[in-house]
Amino acid sequence: MNTDKHGFKDILLRHETILLFVVLLEWFYFNAVGPRFGSVDNTFDIARHSVEIGLLALVMTPIILTGGIDLSVGSLLGLCAILFGKLWRDAGLPIPVAAACTVVIGALAGGLNAALITRLRLPPLIVTLGTFSLFRGLAEAITRGADTFTNFPTAFLFLGQERWLGIPAQAFIFIVVAVGVWLLVHRTTFGRSFRAIGFAPEGARYAGIPVDRRVAFAYVLAGVVAALAAIIYTARLGQAKADAGTGYELFAITAVVLGGTSIFGGVGSVHGTLLGVAAIAVLNNGLVHARQPREVAGMLTGLLLILALSSSVIPKLLATLRGRRQNPKSKPNIQQTNTA
Amino acid sequence: MRKHFRELSVAAALALALIGLRIFAPAFFQPQPLLSLLTREAPTLVVACGMALVIISRQIDISVGSQFAVCSVGAGLLAAANWPLALVLPASVAIGAVMGAVNGALVAGLRLPSIVVTLATMVTWREALRWLRQGQFVNLPDGVQWFGLSQSAGQWTLIITALVLLTLLALATKHAAAGRFVYALGSDAEAARLAGIRPQLTTFCVFVFMGALVGLAAMMNVAQSPQVDPKSGSGLELKVIAAAVVGGVAVSGGRGKLWGVFVGLLLLACIAPALTHLHIEAYWEKAIQGAIILLAVVADGLRTRRQRS
Repeated sequence: MNTDKHGFKDILLRHETILLFVVLLEWFYFNAVGPRFGSVDNTFDIARHSVEIGLLALVMTPIILTGGIDLSVGSLLGLCAILFGKLWRDAGLPIPVAAACTVVIGALAGGLNAALITRLRLPPLIVTLGTFSLFRGLAEAITRGADTFTNFPTAFLFLGQERWLGIPAQAFIFIVVAVGVWLLVHRTTFGRSFRAIGFAPEGARYAGIPVDRRVAFAYVLAGVVAALAAIIYTARLGQAKADAGTGYELFAITAVVLGGTSIFGGVGSVHGTLLGVAAIAVLNNGLVHARQPREVAGMLTGLLLILALSSSVIPKLLATLRGRRQNPKSKPNIQQTNTA
Repeated sequence: MRKHFRELSVAAALALALIGLRIFAPAFFQPQPLLSLLTREAPTLVVACGMALVIISRQIDISVGSQFAVCSVGAGLLAAANWPLALVLPASVAIGAVMGAVNGALVAGLRLPSIVVTLATMVTWREALRWLRQGQFVNLPDGVQWFGLSQSAGQWTLIITALVLLTLLALATKHAAAGRFVYALGSDAEAARLAGIRPQLTTFCVFVFMGALVGLAAMMNVAQSPQVDPKSGSGLELKVIAAAVVGGVAVSGGRGKLWGVFVGLLLLACIAPALTHLHIEAYWEKAIQGAIILLAVVADGLRTRRQRS
């Protein structure tokens, strides 16, 4: 057990160092290829464009740590964006009130996922696949597929397009959420329970952790932050459309898995996720500077996800195979513990 | 009767929907639109059968829409290069089977969760296709649409093909050993292994079979129009998952009947025309589809909870 823990820590450390190295490598490569890539302006551009995906990835981390998944965050971003526009333009609410209402809607939507998953014990993937379709469908139905919200006041657009104290304004929100989630997951007993649940849900329950409440919290948090991301998205583009955030769930999941969080739950870190977001953001932006079409970026993200997943299991698989060959008696032992 | 309760309740819902349409929108039952509706759904039925098997084996495949687009364009390009149809069809099936094998190898070989693997392959295939083809349509030569038959003969060919396949698969899942393997695997993988079934091999085969069915369905779709739309098949994965789940396939694996999937698909297929006939905007279709998936899984969840207590 002790050696396991030690070896495990080692791998985690190595994983994140390698990822950091990959990000730097990407950076230097694109710097050499694209003349404008390394400029301060472009660096802020990367930051600006990755805030929404970064926020989604941050809150996806606790969910995946518990062994769950949320496919609906991209659709929820779209729904929240157009509801925000609707509340502001058609209901005539001032921007701060509309934003507050949007966050409440996000919490309710996350609560719907949470209720179905924890109350009815339905698998997260099918629940969030259903809400993935439901949220996007509602966004399309409300806008009739064509209505867009524009002409937001400049004071609001400041949040998405201007700089405050020299850095993009939305970066402050991102930093606050990132620090908050990091502290939650790594420095509180509350957040520690996410990993316990992902590692062994039954064991966590016997240890006195209110599993359902913790899991529900993770999904509601995802809803709240998806709404926040929707507001930032709207401020950045200056418009809200029903297709906002299409495919963002893939980027968020990829960032989390790339960052070393096990897709089976129980293992992972928030700083890993941040590095994963950086790797994807630099890749996407760099490819544009290297004059590659947008499709290549999407394709590479998919391949990257497969590679990250494979690299996390292949060593373990090889170890099992090797162990089986060296000690053929170990197999029946495992079975016995499983059936016991 | 009890054994088929879940499927029969879907059939009852379908009957109610049809009666409702008969009263409020009799235009729905005109033979020509009804025939083209069934023809449009024939490829979907083929994919839904495969998806049912995938879900019964306790996996999921959300890359079928992208596979469908790749197979359609691939088949279209081969047909445009004047390959005979007798070769285009197996080629399309083979393309699908290869993509299914990629999923299968990652899921069964590396034991990765199918939802994330197929999420990744879904995006990879779709973006690769977009990159290579830049959204161009493929113009088909004469003699491909309706396989060179008359329109109604072509339509009936497609519908009958789908129904024959459904019947064969329904019988195979009930009586053939391979079909029972899938159920055994989905009910309890460990017990299946102890009973001598090779779980990883079975999972791999299910994904390959899924891909092959998508290839066949893509061909059935290509035969319906003079052009191939590179965006064809978008959203297909949700449609077939909804059909399977509504038709009584349990997402926890090991349970479900193919005829239930057929009835579920018919029920879903009624939505879009019913919306137009009832003067509801078509933009609601996706939301309704999502709500139906949720309702179906909630109903199953409540039922299993009651059975447990």
